[in-house]
Amino acid sequence: MKSLLVIPVLAQARFRPEFIWENRDVFLGGVRLTVFIAIVAFALATVFGLGVALLRMSKNRLLAPIMAAYINIFRAIPLLVFVVFVYYGIAIQFDVRISAIQAGILVLTLQYSAWLGEIFRGGIQAVDDGQTQAALSVGMSRPQTFFRVVLPQAIRIVIPPTGNMFIGMIKDSSLVFIIGVPELFRVSSVMANRTFRYFEVYLGAVLFYLILTTAAYFGVKYIEKRFALVDVLTTRVRSPLARRRGIRLRMIQEAVASEREAKSSETGTAM
Amino acid sequence: MNQTEDARPVVRLRKIHKSFDTNHVLRGIDLTVGQGQHVVIFGPSGSGKSTLLRTTNLLETPDSGSVWFDGKEYGPGIEGEDLPRGKARLLRQEIGMVFQQFNLFPHITALDNVALALRRVRRVKRDQAEHRAATYLDRVGLLDKLGAFPSQLSGGQQQRVAIARSLVMEPKVMLFDEPTSALDPELVGEVLAVMRDLAESGMTMVVVTHEMGFAREAGDLNIFMDEGVVVETGGRELYDHAREPRTRAFLQAIL
Ligand SMILES: Nc1ncnc2c1ncn2[C@@H]1O[C@H](COP(=O)(O)OP(=O)(O)OP(=O)(O)O)[C@@H](O)[C@H]1O
Ligand SMILES: [Mg+2]
Repeated sequence: MKSLLVIPVLAQARFRPEFIWENRDVFLGGVRLTVFIAIVAFALATVFGLGVALLRMSKNRLLAPIMAAYINIFRAIPLLVFVVFVYYGIAIQFDVRISAIQAGILVLTLQYSAWLGEIFRGGIQAVDDGQTQAALSVGMSRPQTFFRVVLPQAIRIVIPPTGNMFIGMIKDSSLVFIIGVPELFRVSSVMANRTFRYFEVYLGAVLFYLILTTAAYFGVKYIEKRFALVDVLTTRVRSPLARRRGIRLRMIQEAVASEREAKSSETGTAM
Repeated sequence: MNQTEDARPVVRLRKIHKSFDTNHVLRGIDLTVGQGQHVVIFGPSGSGKSTLLRTTNLLETPDSGSVWFDGKEYGPGIEGEDLPRGKARLLRQEIGMVFQQFNLFPHITALDNVALALRRVRRVKRDQAEHRAATYLDRVGLLDKLGAFPSQLSGGQQQRVAIARSLVMEPKVMLFDEPTSALDPELVGEVLAVMRDLAESGMTMVVVTHEMGFAREAGDLNIFMDEGVVVETGGRELYDHAREPRTRAFLQAIL
């Protein structure tokens, strides 16, 4: 019963919001590493995920089922368990020299490759087969058809779910605290245990995570907008690139129209 | 537009067979298309018309049979023959195809839809490719839509862009798979008008259609297909004087 009394006393210590500001450098150090880990792991996972998706969809009798198994296994292991297993289990058992940061990035990459692979496969398969047929019918090769016609459409389809995965990556990167990677959550908990300012410290951590994920959210929105389809001839466009494109199209229009007129006056058959 | 019977052949299909699992869709098709000829194919749903067109440019590989085009053999070939085979991709560069659902590339403009293959397949420089693409869009009456994306166009406009996309490659043969049957009735006319112009210009055409007005007017060679075989072929007289009862019954039902 006594210990129960102690905790409320601690919790009732006066709230000092300025504590977060005073320790901003510690937080920001963690933020920097969190961003680094999330971006590196996500970039790698995007590349590997595309590879996983392509191999999974291929007719390769060896690699296609291996990729299917990879996806199922790596999605099924809890990230926290996986990190510990790789860093304390595999690395020590087999004497692999790997830093905690590397281990964290490795595990996040492996797991997110599986998730992203499934998202990319869904996106690619959502592109109508008629697109492939049309591209082939004008003589394009299979790779040209994939990279010029199918993939650009698949990318538009997967931007929103991929953006969600990136936000998830920022949050999940906190789990590598368990192997001592000094990212945002780790530096926060170390600070909290040393200063006993649990409320201020974790409030700070929550706020910084919120700022990061909100920034990522607006980043995704921006990318989505960049990929929107706008007719530069009939829409008022602000970007200099689109404006230049509009001028070009108008020049082509005028050239073709005047050629047509020249031809019809030549043959005397006014159209 | 009357074509002589002995026009130089451009495409010749011989003994084409195609099955999907146990569904034997094409059961030995023979068909010769002459230079400048306008072939109309009609028949009930599921009779294999689309599959036949897709086999002609090898979007679908036949199980057996040969596609002869402009002096070369393509496809798996016929047992007992041993002729050199051409590459499907090269065949497709010479044969254009227009689809029922248009299949325009939705992520690029009308101009880029038409210019894409010029640039990537024919390796034409961008300026020149775009100029040529615009010329073909002008030909189908869409010069003002260069910058539009497919979703911003009506069905009839989309199909005309699709026709320009094929024509810009200057194919020797154009295949049309029910090009107007996905269109609202008021938009059918503009697409048929483009096809009439094309027919008059002497383009070799194979058209799957149930637009009987167009078929009667343009069809030099008319083919009735049912259950994977050619039931009857004929000239313009076919529509009024079909010999086969199956042809007559079908024509009666759709008129
Ligand atoms: N890719 C495919 N896989 C399996 N079966 C197919 C495929 N394409 C066509 N079929 C089958 O082949 C048969 C012929 O189809 P096809 O599309 O050639 O007929 P069609 O004459 O064009 O019919 P419609 O008038 O409805 O367009 C049908 O039974 C169809 O289900
Ligand atoms: Mg069909």
